[in-house]
Amino acid sequence: MNKTFVVARWEYLEKVKSKAFLIGLFLTPMIMIGMGVLPGLLAEKEDEETRVIGVIDVRGEIAPLLAKRMERYKLSNGQPNYLLLPVRAPAADIAASVREADERVERGEFDGYFVLNAPEAPDTVIRYFSKGAGDLRLIGRLEENIQAIYWERTLIARGIDPGIVSAMKPRVEVKSVKIGPTGEREETNFLKTFFSAYVFIMAMFFVIFTSGQLLVRSVLEEKSNRIIEVLVSSCTPSELMAGKVLGLSAMGLTQVGFWAIAALAIFARVGADVLPPVEQLLLMVVYFVLGYLFYSAIFIAFGSPVTTEQEAQQLNGYLVLFVILPVALVLPVMQHPDAGWVKVLTFIPLLTPTFMALRIPVQMPSAVEIVGSVVLLAVFTYVMMIVAGRIFRVAILATGKRPSLAELARWVKEG
Amino acid sequence: MLRVSALRKDFATVRAVDGVSFDVRRGEIFGLLGRNGAGKTTTIRMVLNILKPDAGEVFFDGRPFSDATRNLVGYVPEERGLYRKSKLLDTILYFAGLRGMMPSRARAEAQRWLDRFSLTPYAHRKVEELSKGNQQKVQFIVSIIHDPPLVVLDEPFSGLDPVNQILLKDILLELKQRGKAIIFSTHQMDQAERLSDLLCLIEQGRVVLSGSIRDVKRRYGRNWIHLEYEGDGTFLPMLPGVRSAQLYENSAEVQLDDDADPQAILAHIVGRLEIRKFELREPSLHSIFLHAVGQQETAA
Repeated sequence: MNKTFVVARWEYLEKVKSKAFLIGLFLTPMIMIGMGVLPGLLAEKEDEETRVIGVIDVRGEIAPLLAKRMERYKLSNGQPNYLLLPVRAPAADIAASVREADERVERGEFDGYFVLNAPEAPDTVIRYFSKGAGDLRLIGRLEENIQAIYWERTLIARGIDPGIVSAMKPRVEVKSVKIGPTGEREETNFLKTFFSAYVFIMAMFFVIFTSGQLLVRSVLEEKSNRIIEVLVSSCTPSELMAGKVLGLSAMGLTQVGFWAIAALAIFARVGADVLPPVEQLLLMVVYFVLGYLFYSAIFIAFGSPVTTEQEAQQLNGYLVLFVILPVALVLPVMQHPDAGWVKVLTFIPLLTPTFMALRIPVQMPSAVEIVGSVVLLAVFTYVMMIVAGRIFRVAILATGKRPSLAELARWVKEG
Repeated sequence: MLRVSALRKDFATVRAVDGVSFDVRRGEIFGLLGRNGAGKTTTIRMVLNILKPDAGEVFFDGRPFSDATRNLVGYVPEERGLYRKSKLLDTILYFAGLRGMMPSRARAEAQRWLDRFSLTPYAHRKVEELSKGNQQKVQFIVSIIHDPPLVVLDEPFSGLDPVNQILLKDILLELKQRGKAIIFSTHQMDQAERLSDLLCLIEQGRVVLSGSIRDVKRRYGRNWIHLEYEGDGTFLPMLPGVRSAQLYENSAEVQLDDDADPQAILAHIVGRLEIRKFELREPSLHSIFLHAVGQQETAA
């Protein structure tokens, strides 16, 4: 049996069988969904009972109009969502009204209250007083409706029919249409493009990062308990390294693959079409694999000399930067996939996979660019792997002090 | 079986191993002796092809070390450890696979060794749940499960309790009887004396003494007295005719000058110490070791 495969199988099974993997498999998407969707869901949760709101309307002209407008908001059981109650007080004594409103809020009769001044001088700031921090949706609805009332009144006061004005506000929508290679028209959907590119990049960096970290950790463990000596007396360092990269990437792909299938199943149910065309998908896979191997080599080169857990954590901090840099450029690249600077940066191996993943769905780059970048990335990956292998060979037996960059360079040269 | 010839290895400024050569044959236990830092582990690592020697060669049955010969050695490193979170049987099977064993045979062998070491009930437990002694047994199984013709053990007895020391000793002798070549390094001379057929003493990277135990002892074998007594023996090294003396609690190994008369020494001691035992015999390996290392230091 090939020893690379033996190592790969071990690394894969040991990680996949662990509880941490299973937990991560289910918990990670739950946390992500939770962070993305839950706050929105909670904020949009409908009120369950009618809310009583006090209004101190100095001239008594706005409150009835507002009450009427607010009637359109209903609870799920058909009851009105809001009940606006005017606070009656001696006309001139606003202070007394405020006192009464305060008391009623205190007693829980009012959810909150607000004061409206004369319509001739419309309030630009209206304060909603309540015991809680205020309800964003209620505030939004009050703003919208009070504004509309003021607006109508102003129009009427000037002798203009509000109906004419609304008719004069036509809605215009600009849609972008992509001309395909055979001239077919396809209405582009920014979200769809964004989704396929972004998901690709996130998946790639997720695999790179989880498996890269596990790689550093597994080498560290083997170094600290000296298993590494038994390992390299049984197989060559190259076999060991290749086995680890294969096994751990298979683990990362299992994880991402599981999520992808789950996500596609959900999208298929919902009827959303998120998959890019096959040729794009295949190209992206090429970039994914090369990009993954390139980053793995970086992790090995910098990770294998690490001798303590602390150093490993520090190192991960630095490696995150390598990973974040391309991600940080996602939006500008998507907006200008054809810009000169994007084309140039595409050829930097560290950025190639991300940039291509962003450009391909938006506008297929020229064949020259694709072939050129693939070849360049492949060559760099190969060189990085050799460099990483040489460092790995020396580093796995080195303990004690972390080697300096100069020493690393010497190992590479002497390799 | 194994021929090691003129190995040399430099680390930065230190020459860790300098011209070490030896042969190990099947059915022999070879003791690699030396102080901590003498170059034993570096030598072993070069023998196992973990480190590349700067000069010199290692031949395995007349052929240089290659990927094929990797499966013919078993290795127990000095600092022992296993994957703590992994299950016992899985770990054993992994290492068996790394040594090129077929899974079915590996499984059968693993079962046999687990039985032998009474570890079968733990086969599906995690390594970290085992006692230290049991972990060391697993370490040993992992190294020899593929039945290699050459077994290399770096300080195998350190950290073993007496029961496990005996277990290990029995297994080494059994392997020897089955025709395996065994190399073990140690700085505990009594272990080496009891087990090894051949020995090689390394000091500062150089071989200062080598040969069969019998030869080595014969070389140092004249004029040694083993003494057991009650009293204060500190005067022993100062006696006329005594070249050196190793004093222990109530016993001593005394090396005499070549022309000294043991009877005369005895006469000096009688009356000053209550003698329990006075014996002319071969020196212990321990004394030889100290002697050889001492000479090396004077020479240097």
